[in-house]
Amino acid sequence: MKESEFAIIGGGPGGIAAAIVAAKAGVKVTLLDENERPGGQIYRQFEKGYKVTDSKVLGRDYEKGLELLRQFSSLSDKIRYLNNATVWGIFKSRTLAFARKGTSSSLSFKNLLVATGAYDRPVPLPGWTLPGVFTAGGAQRLVKTERVLPGENILLAGTGPLQLVLAHQILNAGGKIEAILESGNISKNWLRILMGIWGNWDYLKEGWRYLRHIQKAGVPLLRNHIILEVHGDGQVEEAVIAKVDKSWRPKPDTERTVKVDTVCLGYGLVSSTELALLAECEHKYELCLGGYIPVRSESMETTVPGIYAVGDGAGVAGSKVAIEEGRIAGVSIARSLGYISDADASTRIRIFQKHLNKFNRLRRVLDEMSVPGQGLYELAKDDTVLCRCEEITLKEIKKALADGTIQAKDLKRMTRIGMGACEGRMCGPALIEIMRYQPNASPEGPGYLLPRPSIKPIALGVIAASKQEE
Amino acid sequence: MSMVEKRVQKGVERGQQFEIFVDGEKILAYEGETIGAALMAAGRRTLRYTNKYKHPRGLYCGIGLCQECRMVINGVPNTQACQTLATPGCQVETQQREKYSTGLTG
Ligand SMILES: Cc1cc2nc3c(=O)[nH]c(=O)nc-3n(C[C@H](O)[C@H](O)[C@H](O)COP(=O)(O)OP(=O)(O)OC[C@H]3O[C@@H](n4cnc5c(N)ncnc54)[C@H](O)[C@@H]3O)c2cc1C
Ligand code: FES
Repeated sequence: MKESEFAIIGGGPGGIAAAIVAAKAGVKVTLLDENERPGGQIYRQFEKGYKVTDSKVLGRDYEKGLELLRQFSSLSDKIRYLNNATVWGIFKSRTLAFARKGTSSSLSFKNLLVATGAYDRPVPLPGWTLPGVFTAGGAQRLVKTERVLPGENILLAGTGPLQLVLAHQILNAGGKIEAILESGNISKNWLRILMGIWGNWDYLKEGWRYLRHIQKAGVPLLRNHIILEVHGDGQVEEAVIAKVDKSWRPKPDTERTVKVDTVCLGYGLVSSTELALLAECEHKYELCLGGYIPVRSESMETTVPGIYAVGDGAGVAGSKVAIEEGRIAGVSIARSLGYISDADASTRIRIFQKHLNKFNRLRRVLDEMSVPGQGLYELAKDDTVLCRCEEITLKEIKKALADGTIQAKDLKRMTRIGMGACEGRMCGPALIEIMRYQPNASPEGPGYLLPRPSIKPIALGVIAASKQEE
Repeated sequence: MSMVEKRVQKGVERGQQFEIFVDGEKILAYEGETIGAALMAAGRRTLRYTNKYKHPRGLYCGIGLCQECRMVINGVPNTQACQTLATPGCQVETQQREKYSTGLTG
């Protein structure tokens, strides 16, 4: 079997930036991504059939992304790009397995980059499984790349800047927003924000533009507010909201009900770490960066030699950080394979590192503002389903916790939480937070729901029809 | 649901228009649109019912992770509506219970 010098999982900004610098240095790259076209979450392209007539639909950042994508496709003789390829396992033998076009193949690698991105932090609350409740990212995909509004009267609830992006896009598309609830406290941090943003004018201008747009449209942006519950018969009909204190706990007598048909929950993102966990890379807990994330060296290498991780999948920090991290990993791998000299690599990494530091300053401020308060994880009631797939309620979890279970992986065995089709992605992050706040919590933390292959549902027939990668 | 147009006309032109069938009923879809989006545009929000409590579920993450949008598409159960492009005449059914017998892992 032929071995790939450098395999990349994920065709978002991080993976693509790494592929470009490595390929330019002469490395033979294989990039696998599960989508039809490259671009990842932020530069997700329209499907065939759509014609964009107004580039404003896409936003300015997207234009920059297109430039990256152009470079990527111009290197097609050096980069082997496998679209529609879902990686479902990584094995000790330095091979990965992926499903593509109805069959499963394996690919062995010398170096691997995990650039699998992130997804919306799931937050269980009463009514969160009702049709009409979307993640902010899901709603954004509908509005931005499918050009379909998720509903007629929309409530945005959550925290952080992505909510403002979504609001801006919904308004631009002609949609109606009842209100935007920001559970954090933005206003008090203005000075800090300005200091953090110093040298990040691009970001500042965008954020300012979104805020202005929201104000002009007359949409209330309610700071220190949270969504408590969603009600409806078969779908969303109303939401209960309240004012919160600093820990995001509802203040007494501030509850009220709003009539909406759609709720978008956007509490920031959490890293997709299933593959890095499967590869047995060591992980550490960082609440601001999206939970458990891989431990990395300055060159983006994980604790498993030859396996690197960049972008939102290695700590949520946005597309600009993903690009610089991808470049650092790409150059480091080119150096380790002998394509470029140590001196050349160090010079280039220093430049990327400088950009990284600049963006990170801003991110730290934004992150601090939107770190979830403890109250967020007290919204679920006894009969609230935590595990959407296996329909396991908070009550069942509490019972197992009362029996003395303190490790997430033991809880999984006992209750089946995280054993369903989503592989623990939708229940894991909240479960970890709920366990962390238990009085008998283990000081080392609850650990995580250990994933197992396949990390994405693959029909057994596909795995049976496996072949060796040519 | 009411008849308010959910497809945004501004900024993009869509490709070919065609019909798809959802539980036997005709709805409109366009080339390049996912089945999930076509259903949202038609105001059909329930995509499946759960096994244990028979609760309705709809499009949630929209990016292929949560598995809430699993429907029976052209006879194949557990197909993600948010990841599957609509094709002329395709047959979509609300999934009543998961059919693990077809061998879905994970
Ligand atoms: C839904 C959503 C909406 C967002 N909207 C905005 C926005 O409007 N503005 C903004 O600044 N930032 C936005 N972000 C954040 C931004 O997208 C990210 O910061 C940026 O895309 C990170 O780049 P990345 O390369 O790390 O990951 P991504 O861009 O997420 O790319 C990861 C890629 O890996 C693929 N992948 C994952 N697992 C596998 C697997 N097992 N096999 C094969 N392929 C796999 C994914 O499909 C994806 O294509 C959004 C994020 C999400 C999740
Ligand atoms: S809506 Fe989450 S997988 Fe389709």
